[in-house]
Amino acid sequence: MRTLAWAVVAALFALLPLAVHSDVVLTVLVFACLQGMLAASFNLIFGFTGQLSMFHAAAFGIAAYATHLSMEHLQVSFWIGTLLAACLVAVLSLIVGSICFRFRLREFYFAVVTLAFSEMARLLILNWNSVTNGSLGINLQEKPTVWWPGAGVVKLDGTVPWYYVALAGLALTLLVCHRLVHSWMGRCFAAIRLNDALGDALGINVFRYKLAAFMVGSVIAAVTGSLYAYYLGSIEPGFLSVDQSLAIVAMVLLGGRRSVAAPVFGAFLLTALPHVIHFPAEVRSIVYGAILIATILLLPRGIYGTVSAVLRRG
Amino acid sequence: MAQLILGQLLNGAIVGTLYGIIALGVSLTFGITGIVNFALGVFMMLGAYAAWYLTDTLHAPYPLAVAGAVALVAAAGWIADQLLFRFTRNDLVNGLLVSIGLIAALEGTALLAWTSTPKEMHHILPGVFFALGLVVPKMKLTVFAILLVAIALTQLALTRTWMGRAAYAYAQNAEAAQLMGVHTGRLQTGVMVYSTALAGFGGALYASLYSLEPTLGSLYVLKAVEAAILAGIGSIAGALVGGIILGVTEGVGSIYLPLAFRDAYGLIFLVAVLLFKPSGLFGGRR
Repeated sequence: MRTLAWAVVAALFALLPLAVHSDVVLTVLVFACLQGMLAASFNLIFGFTGQLSMFHAAAFGIAAYATHLSMEHLQVSFWIGTLLAACLVAVLSLIVGSICFRFRLREFYFAVVTLAFSEMARLLILNWNSVTNGSLGINLQEKPTVWWPGAGVVKLDGTVPWYYVALAGLALTLLVCHRLVHSWMGRCFAAIRLNDALGDALGINVFRYKLAAFMVGSVIAAVTGSLYAYYLGSIEPGFLSVDQSLAIVAMVLLGGRRSVAAPVFGAFLLTALPHVIHFPAEVRSIVYGAILIATILLLPRGIYGTVSAVLRRG
Repeated sequence: MAQLILGQLLNGAIVGTLYGIIALGVSLTFGITGIVNFALGVFMMLGAYAAWYLTDTLHAPYPLAVAGAVALVAAAGWIADQLLFRFTRNDLVNGLLVSIGLIAALEGTALLAWTSTPKEMHHILPGVFFALGLVVPKMKLTVFAILLVAIALTQLALTRTWMGRAAYAYAQNAEAAQLMGVHTGRLQTGVMVYSTALAGFGGALYASLYSLEPTLGSLYVLKAVEAAILAGIGSIAGALVGGIILGVTEGVGSIYLPLAFRDAYGLIFLVAVLLFKPSGLFGGRR
């Protein structure tokens, strides 16, 4: 029944470009799908394993730069570049995660140390002018190519092909997260979230599973970073900022952190909001703050948690 | 060269006491309410703008303006506590996120009210001292001294008054303190208001030294959190020393190492301390 419902939702999204021709709407949807990938992968670390990682934006941004640099200097295609970037982020998250979890940093201390590492990465990218062009960022002219049924190898240009790429990425992310959370590994994650000392005593290798969640989440963020950068057509050090990490946290909280798909809902809402209602930048900041505060104080379980609680009661 | 180092030491110490006064607030709130209040940076910004507005627009004498700014910020802190932070006590993640929401909302409001153009306050105490071949502005030294006195007074209040000792007792063992008649709600509200007042005080003094922008607080609160962790949460003198260490590392570090990475030195130091002495440099047990 659930599987069927999800298949219908996926089919509806896949057929959407036939009904919606507005470029603006589709563009917003592409960004929403990409943000949804970020939110869902972050929730694997935060919502399911209970670790407030501030490294997510760094994984996202580092991969964006690494993809571009490997394409330029190693002359590889976009997809190989993405693969290399994902490998780089896997190694970096292995290092950062090992340090944090080996020294048993928890809660706030974990957040602060991951934040410190991502700030260091941001400062490096910001100041390594010869390679990253500093605060100005880089314009990306090239477009990745894909094999399209019936058309052969084509450049990914225009909104509709990108919509399908982003949608496929989101579907794949959700599938991976779903399989992971509902496996024995997911139960280890839950044990760590609820009480990691008890999990340790029960024979769960806490270090290994924390690291696994952290690495899988970061690698998905890395792939998202490559796609995002090449869809946007530019990269800048702001990709790695604290604000970016916090925006992801806000999406997850708004959607709900106890479900695989709910963060995507939060991502769609927060991405679409500025396009639906036009505000000056200052007012947008105020509205964003108000939404964050209202969500935490009034809907502590997010939209999904609140709605499902109401449905169960009614 | 020696002069340059000495100059940077002094500069670092002065900036470090500013970090220290915010760090004191961070440390107190974390110890008593279990919240890391990142919004203290915004309260510092509000204090700075209030002092600027009171002196340059309403032409109040500077000491009066500082007092007014502290009172205004304390009132704002009380409102924030009653409306928001009261509901996130002892919940680290939610408290963190509420304070971040508050930052976004208040910074946006400040940008609307005062725009991003930097504001300069007129010089309160012009002139410089010459000592050891160094040139030190009088106002900088005054601010340094006043901040030291404020931190010392806080330490005295925490060890000599009933409320202060209650705070210490509560941080050590909340239940036992409650049984001994410590009123939890009042204590937590008091600490929130006091820490915002300290931040406002720091901001009002900051206004006399540097130019003001709506985002000025974010850098300071980040450094303050670093300083508080570096020193060990709950240590009053530690918050000051942590702030000064951070300020001096940045100042002296930028002589020898590239200036662009100034903000990274503190972070590297912080990670090292957290890994090898998680309770902080001056903390006992965690």
